[in-house]
Amino acid sequence: MKLRRSMLFLPGANAAMLSTAFVFKPDSIMFDLEDAVSLREKDAARLLVFHALQNPVYRDIETVVRINPLNTPFGLADLEAVVRAGVDIVRLPKTDSAADVHQLEAEVERIERACGRALGSTKLMAAIESASGVVNALSIATSSKRMIGIALAGFDYVMDMQTERGDGTELFYARCAVLHAARVAGIDAFDVVYSDVNDEEGFLKEVELIKKLGFNGKSLINPRQIELLHNAYAPTEEDVDYARRVVAAAEKAERDGLGVIALNGKMIDAPIVNHAKRVLQKAQASGVRK
Amino acid sequence: MKIIKEALAGTLESSDLLVKVMPLPEDRVEVVIQSEVMHQFGEQIRQVVSQTLQQLGLVSGQVVIEDKGALDCAIRARVQAAILRGGSIQELDWSKLS
Amino acid sequence: MNDDIDFYTIDSHKNWDEGAEIQRLLTQCDLDMEEGIHVFVVGRQGHRLVACAGLDGNIVKCVATVPDLRGESLALKLMSEVSHLALEQGHLHLFLFTHPKNVSFFGGCGFYELAEVPGYVSLMENTPIGIKSYSEQLHKLAQPGRKIGCIVMNANPFTFGHQYLVQLAAAQCDWLHVFAVREDVSMFSYRDRFALVQAGVAGIPRLTLHHGSEYMVSRATFPNYFFKEKGIVGECCSAIDLILFRKYIAPALGITHRFVGTEPFCTTTRKYNDDMKHWLQTADSESAPISVVEVPRAVSSNIAISASEVRRLLHSGDMAKMPSLVPRETLKFLSGNHYAT
Repeated sequence: MKLRRSMLFLPGANAAMLSTAFVFKPDSIMFDLEDAVSLREKDAARLLVFHALQNPVYRDIETVVRINPLNTPFGLADLEAVVRAGVDIVRLPKTDSAADVHQLEAEVERIERACGRALGSTKLMAAIESASGVVNALSIATSSKRMIGIALAGFDYVMDMQTERGDGTELFYARCAVLHAARVAGIDAFDVVYSDVNDEEGFLKEVELIKKLGFNGKSLINPRQIELLHNAYAPTEEDVDYARRVVAAAEKAERDGLGVIALNGKMIDAPIVNHAKRVLQKAQASGVRK
Repeated sequence: MKIIKEALAGTLESSDLLVKVMPLPEDRVEVVIQSEVMHQFGEQIRQVVSQTLQQLGLVSGQVVIEDKGALDCAIRARVQAAILRGGSIQELDWSKLS
Repeated sequence: MNDDIDFYTIDSHKNWDEGAEIQRLLTQCDLDMEEGIHVFVVGRQGHRLVACAGLDGNIVKCVATVPDLRGESLALKLMSEVSHLALEQGHLHLFLFTHPKNVSFFGGCGFYELAEVPGYVSLMENTPIGIKSYSEQLHKLAQPGRKIGCIVMNANPFTFGHQYLVQLAAAQCDWLHVFAVREDVSMFSYRDRFALVQAGVAGIPRLTLHHGSEYMVSRATFPNYFFKEKGIVGECCSAIDLILFRKYIAPALGITHRFVGTEPFCTTTRKYNDDMKHWLQTADSESAPISVVEVPRAVSSNIAISASEVRRLLHSGDMAKMPSLVPRETLKFLSGNHYAT
């Protein structure tokens, strides 16, 4: 179970950031070749990311690359470069339908074969950025075995909806749709970027909301947000104690060959055990809530 | 592969480098490197640049580099980008660039 | 990101809405708006203009950043954008005039000092091997001898006056190097001017004709020769051009004497000749002095022959005197083109 609470966005054309971002410890790092890179620098950014992906400093962090859409002059070249360079996950922007994913998947497989990379090793993440994407969320989420998560992208989505970013009301339905689709498909759900890097309070409020809704994580554009997010997602002492007891009970039941797990006289089923394991995983990753 | 037009890649910011390439009338390669850390890393920078140019098969052109403390991966990327922009190749063979 | 600075370009001829803002930024940094800039790179943080730099062909002018964001990063981003913009305009090799106190700042932006008038102005270029390469190329054309002469001429167009000067100088020297000013802002194009010089000096022995360069009487080194430049830069123009000559060009070819014709008509050229005597002969320098030889103009009917006189006659359609002022090739050229009315 890979923790994906924090995904740090890095502009692919920025050599300094690509060289130094490994010191931050987000759960995943996303190199952006799309909106953060000007037209003039698309080719140069692709090369920077190609080499950064192969740098040993990023070996132990999950890497994601947001490529340009495949119907642009850049998308396919991006894909050739990053799949060969060993990226963990390719993020497809502006995913409107399952067909978009199938098209991407076909190209990824072709490149894996051509360069000798293990078939299926390149995972996918779909970014939902429009009304169509939201409405098709379920078919997108279930469109490929490689899909590990779907992400809601706020900026383009609200424009498509003819509204603006505000207190979150504008994302209400989209968030729920994306979440449900992810849960049915058994994959992760990611929330939008919070762009005001100086508004810590606003950020934490949003994190509380999406955590309650059940999002696995959030896209971040500033390293300062990483620790804030991890702490907000961290379990409390009580949560951890209870989780330990649940897991212990499950292990004991298995040792004793019992089909049923019991704790404090109550029956504990699989979802509760999985949840407890996730709690312990988060605690291990960044401690308990401060 | 030759440089056929003037081209530029990179920036002057810290941890980056600015790479300029220019055509030369003869078949020779001239590399000029300026760096804030010339003493400590000059030789290493030169090696990475040299290896990158060799991999691309450059036989003619002038390469002028203004280094601002870039790591090897940035050096490779910027040199390749400048050569791609100014050179006579249309597409990169990704398998030859690592 | 909120703190992000967006860079974009403004064509000052097409859309000058932001001109007032740029002017305010320059004033804030104690700079005047300079002439000749046709495109600006500007940086905005949100709505605020925080950086600007102008391009006049291959010359960078009006570089400014807001005082509260000083510190390296903004300026480096700005100068990087300038480099890219300049290349889009066709210029990889750039020049920059600045006060000597800013030399180390621009040094951090990939510029290298070419020449300095201490306390007044420095000329810089954006490559470590510009003038060096040029000098090395020139050096290959050096000729042996103790008295090596040099003439730098615009030859707009080539007249008997030019020819007389060249013949006299060649006769007095072991070798003579003649340079044609390269800038294409004169009445006659460089290609035409050079061809006429070439025809006019053909047959004169112990002479090499060189193409001009950016380092000699160019818009970069000597803008006032072509346009009126305001302020300190205007005053120090010829100084920079001459310092470059004494520091790099003369040593490369072993030049000991520079020949000029006296200048009866053009005040700019006359001042240049005076400056020449100062900077090449008398001023302190690490480089050897060069003797300046001022040769009285050749005359025709008691009037000194000069290119400006030829142009004046051409404009007024008076071709009668022309055969006594210009050699055959120049005459053919002037008569055969639409120049002659």
